[in-house]
Amino acid sequence: MRMMLAIVLCKLLRFAGKLVGKGSSLPGQYALKLCPDVLRRVRLPERIIAVTGSNGKTSTVEMIAAILRAQGLNVVYNAEGSNQVEGVATLILSHCTLRGRMRGDVLLLESDERYARVSFRHFHPTHFVITNLYRDQLSRNGHPEWVYDAILPAIHPETTLVLNADDPLVSCFARGHDPERVKWFGLDECSVSTKEHHGVYHDGARCPVCRGRMAYRCYHYAHIGHYSCPQCGHARHAADFAVTALDLGAGRLTINGRRDISLAFKSIYNVYNILAAWSVCALAGADEDLMAGVINNYILKNGRMVTFRLGGHRGTLLTSKHENSIAYDTNLSYIAAAERPCTVIVIVDAISRKYYTGETSWLWDIDFERLNAPHIHRVMLYGRYCRDIALRFQYTGIPAERLEVGEDIREAAERLREQGEEDLYVVTCFSDRDKLLECPSVKREGGN
Amino acid sequence: MELNILHLYPDCMSLYGEYANVAVLRRHLENLGVSVTVKAPLFEDAPDFGGADFIYMGAGTEGMQKAALTALRPHTEALRTAVERGVVLLFTGSAMEIIGASVTDAAGKVWPGLGLAGFTTQETDRRTPHDVIAVPTLWEPAAVGFMNKCSRTAGVETPLFSAVTMGFGNEVQGGPEGYVSGNVFATHITGPVIVKNPAFAALLTRRLFERKGWPLPIGAGIEPLEEQVYRETYAALAGLPKNL
Repeated sequence: MRMMLAIVLCKLLRFAGKLVGKGSSLPGQYALKLCPDVLRRVRLPERIIAVTGSNGKTSTVEMIAAILRAQGLNVVYNAEGSNQVEGVATLILSHCTLRGRMRGDVLLLESDERYARVSFRHFHPTHFVITNLYRDQLSRNGHPEWVYDAILPAIHPETTLVLNADDPLVSCFARGHDPERVKWFGLDECSVSTKEHHGVYHDGARCPVCRGRMAYRCYHYAHIGHYSCPQCGHARHAADFAVTALDLGAGRLTINGRRDISLAFKSIYNVYNILAAWSVCALAGADEDLMAGVINNYILKNGRMVTFRLGGHRGTLLTSKHENSIAYDTNLSYIAAAERPCTVIVIVDAISRKYYTGETSWLWDIDFERLNAPHIHRVMLYGRYCRDIALRFQYTGIPAERLEVGEDIREAAERLREQGEEDLYVVTCFSDRDKLLECPSVKREGGN
Repeated sequence: MELNILHLYPDCMSLYGEYANVAVLRRHLENLGVSVTVKAPLFEDAPDFGGADFIYMGAGTEGMQKAALTALRPHTEALRTAVERGVVLLFTGSAMEIIGASVTDAAGKVWPGLGLAGFTTQETDRRTPHDVIAVPTLWEPAAVGFMNKCSRTAGVETPLFSAVTMGFGNEVQGGPEGYVSGNVFATHITGPVIVKNPAFAALLTRRLFERKGWPLPIGAGIEPLEEQVYRETYAALAGLPKNL
């Protein structure tokens, strides 16, 4: 009876919330108060796929949903991104009959990495995809090993883990888990691989198991690559699902030596997101031809790259995430690889949308040295934190005369409109990007 | 004029951009005409404490902190001797806990510390990441920073900060924070703490010069951009609610 009341309450609140445009967590929150174990009581679909990790959760989940729907399955997933237990409860209960049976063939969940253990207290995924673990919003997340420890209790012995073989910390989730229930995805040594580590810091320098010095055969980016610990033997597993060839510039990859895929977004992140989605969908029985077809035609809706015109300039905005140095580094590499003369604009105006913080240590983790290249004629540092960035740039080796520092983004855009025709690259966060894109002189062209 | 900086384990004890503390101090010293050498030993190396003028270690994960402690333990006597000779030492973030008497981890295991100070640390299963405004005992004005710790430290008799007006102290919210004794400085504040606090950088520079008997010009080491960043950060933080 209590379960039924919780379902009814959730549905009513969800309906009312939609009318007034309110968020998707509140109905689940009230339903859980009314019936704390409601998620144990309801009957869930046979397949429950969860995705967690520092980066790529949303993109991976969306791709999985697209593939499985094309397969003809009814996929229920948290498209609104409410990835904590309350949002998960809203999603499940609003798709339940009053007798507690959830409609749908697949429940697909993007799960917040810190709260997965709360979400999966009453049920567990059949497949759990863990994309990567690295420095991301440390002011909230502590550090990657803290996040690892938070995810660990969420893993049920009967769950099949779908792990990034190239991440030495993620691969630790397989320790003590039934090897039959661990599947690996990874990238073979390929055109993006390097023998040397690139970046200001190296979170793979030490083995996460024994703290011995880790040896790498190659790096794909940051600490993601082919590693082995000479001291304890913790090493990369052979991948069940592998990108066996990759031409990032041409936007082509091959999976398991036989399936060619075109990349709509030529980013190493996207490669891993595709591979993660491919792996779990293949395990769910999806047809390879169909998967390749869906991914080839898949238009990423994440708005990571936006093109625009500003006066005589052709501009590209590359969305990073503040407090995520690897996201920044990936975009800086893209700019460094461009050959045409350009100006780069770095905007840090609001680290958090909700509050001020003086926590700018992550600026020191970004490899801004990559912008010390001959084709980058000028770097403009803008936004409220412009002087914090300028301080960081004093240690990049980029000559001071190439730097411009200011708070007023609109004023900078206006001046650019009046002068020059070189390419522009803008690096900033979702939270700050509209401060440039909504300037009157900026004319958007592509992206979303 | 030559100074040797010993930056301990930067490959794994620089979790929040702490390497910047060494980079910025080095730049300050070089601007004052000092020739600076930085050595960065790994766990497997024997650190050259005898040849060091400034020893620094930044924050690491709880696991890395224990690994750093284990790596340092065989060299405790050499470190103690260097401290007795007045070496300037700064351990920040979780590295602070290493110099105490012990660290008890969240599972209850007691890790004996290096014993340079008598305080003890108890790890908890809750982190208290927060912006910090702290009242220094040795300089003015107030210090700013960020703390990302999961521990309580008890038994500090000579704190580096008499109170934190925003954030968590050694044991309690608002309480005293850090540790100082002679030229040994420690604070839980993470990240580039001396970059954010030019007055702290100036104090360390002064101690390094005093130890060598070198005269330090008045106003030396003042970098206008660092001063401005400090003022902006302090003004913004001072306008925020203080509660955790």
